[in-house]
Amino acid sequence: MSITMLGLLFAAVTLLVMFSGMPISFALGTVAVVFMFFFMPYSSLDTVTQNVYEEMASITLLSIPLFIMKGAAIGRSRAGQDLYEALHVWLGKIPGGLGVANVLACALFAAMAGSSPATCSAIGSAGIPEMRKRGYSPGLAAGIIAAGGTLGILLPPSITMILYSVAAEQSLGRLFLAGIGPGLMLVAFFSMYTVYRFRKEYKSALESVNVGAPSHPILERHTYTMQQKMSSLPRVMPFLILLIGVMIALYGGYATPSETAGLGAILAFALIAGIYKMWRMKDLAPLLNATIKESTMLMFIIGMSLLFSNVMSHLHLSQSAAQAIVDLGFGRWGLLAAILILVIILGFFLPPVSIILMTAPIFLPPLRAAGFDLVWFGVVMTIVMETGLIHPPVGLNIFVIKNIAPDISLNEIIYGVFPFVVIMILSVVLLCFVPEIATGLSDLVMGPMQVH
Amino acid sequence: MTQLSHAADRLMSGINKLMVLVGSLALVAASFILSYSVASRAFFGATTDWQDEAAVFCLVGATFLCGGFVQEIRGHVGISAVAGMLPKKVNQLRIILIDIISCAFCAFFAWKSWTLFHEAWVDGQVTSSSWAPPLWIPYIMMSIGMTLLAIQILLQAFGSPSNPGKGE
Repeated sequence: MSITMLGLLFAAVTLLVMFSGMPISFALGTVAVVFMFFFMPYSSLDTVTQNVYEEMASITLLSIPLFIMKGAAIGRSRAGQDLYEALHVWLGKIPGGLGVANVLACALFAAMAGSSPATCSAIGSAGIPEMRKRGYSPGLAAGIIAAGGTLGILLPPSITMILYSVAAEQSLGRLFLAGIGPGLMLVAFFSMYTVYRFRKEYKSALESVNVGAPSHPILERHTYTMQQKMSSLPRVMPFLILLIGVMIALYGGYATPSETAGLGAILAFALIAGIYKMWRMKDLAPLLNATIKESTMLMFIIGMSLLFSNVMSHLHLSQSAAQAIVDLGFGRWGLLAAILILVIILGFFLPPVSIILMTAPIFLPPLRAAGFDLVWFGVVMTIVMETGLIHPPVGLNIFVIKNIAPDISLNEIIYGVFPFVVIMILSVVLLCFVPEIATGLSDLVMGPMQVH
Repeated sequence: MTQLSHAADRLMSGINKLMVLVGSLALVAASFILSYSVASRAFFGATTDWQDEAAVFCLVGATFLCGGFVQEIRGHVGISAVAGMLPKKVNQLRIILIDIISCAFCAFFAWKSWTLFHEAWVDGQVTSSSWAPPLWIPYIMMSIGMTLLAIQILLQAFGSPSNPGKGE
């Protein structure tokens, strides 16, 4: 059988099994084993489990459950609400300050928890009702939280970045740093858009009041005294210290990225025990349960994705596909655009975890050959995959928000989220022109990239 | 027959609860091991040779042993976009078919894990690090976990339809 035929068969079988609704992990494993049976020496079947174990037994990959546990510890406590309330008090004066407070709270929380849906539900459950009470349109409120939540996989510690660092063999510390600049840029853009929309909604409310409509909550002003501002600080400081402490441990050279996962988890447990008195078994059991559920599901997908891409490369499918992409002769930017569009399409159906592990062996060699900085590409790919979290049909964050605020219609949420997707795509374009937004910080801290 | 399958469901559910407990402890243990590694290096200048590997064993164990529990609550996600469009009868057939194939895969994987474990046990294989712990430890956790997972799917495919799991 020619390599093209084999490739097409492989793709067709994969699509069929995936779309049958079979759990992604078992689907990938089944496809891998079936193709091993038919197209690879029989002995390969004997080592399939060893293969999976050896791929998985990396402390970098296995730090993922610990990052999830740290996120769950913070996410299940009142930390999200406290953080949000404090920011709200401090930003009360700015027009649209409440919305901006929500964006910032999402970013800070994401940086502690590292998970997009967890951020959405932690900040959104307090933020969405509050914004609506103050007269924000439901779509805007939902959009702010859905988009803010996506910062979770861009700001360190990000699970997608961990996987990318393994798949692309890039330094995790460098990738984490490279995510900070674009993360802050997105925070700024999201905030600016929020203020712009707030002004618009404010103006239209003002106009309708002027022609005799009853007052609208968006027009009310709230001010907070200095004392209120100060008293909101103590409950937030510990978490900021956790965040900064972990960063210092990591970049001060005291701890490897995976060690910070363990350290962070222990510190998070200590903080919620100290501040929120969450130390009894009945407080911790749901948290551990949620951790096990999410991390086991993810690790199964990761393990089987690794097996899947292993088979793909043994059958020379990845290499041939990569060569085929190069042979298309798109040129440097055409190649990048084609790959990103493909990532967007995959993002319609697959979680970022599988996209990275399944496509890295195909996409990365052509990109490297075309002279792209792979750390930079990791950041760009992450932002593109983030959009997949907030647009249908998978759009995990959309459904998290639907859970928090069931009375906002799905249409309103999607309509409210759409401008944020556009902002993210534009940011990717900006990153193409000014790559230093991402690589500037990592090069500054860790020295310029070694060219291989 | 239904009584038997109910009893099996209950037994399995109990085992899964135990595995979640073991898995949780393993996660917490891994966190402590890694934190200890940072502390001992920072304060005592100790070399850290065994910590990463010990944490890997804990985390591999937690992952595989809890696979059955996640399956019990149908927590292994799949792409359900197309499935929603199928007629009811076809959809039922699809669900059973998926469970059978998933079960076959997990059973195969469990079988190969046991042979791997056996080999590592008989040959006394150790990892390639300087600490060199025996390899049968992670392998047996993988074997037990995948076996439990396969049994769990089997129970869901042919067991009492009254207990299809919360996730569906």
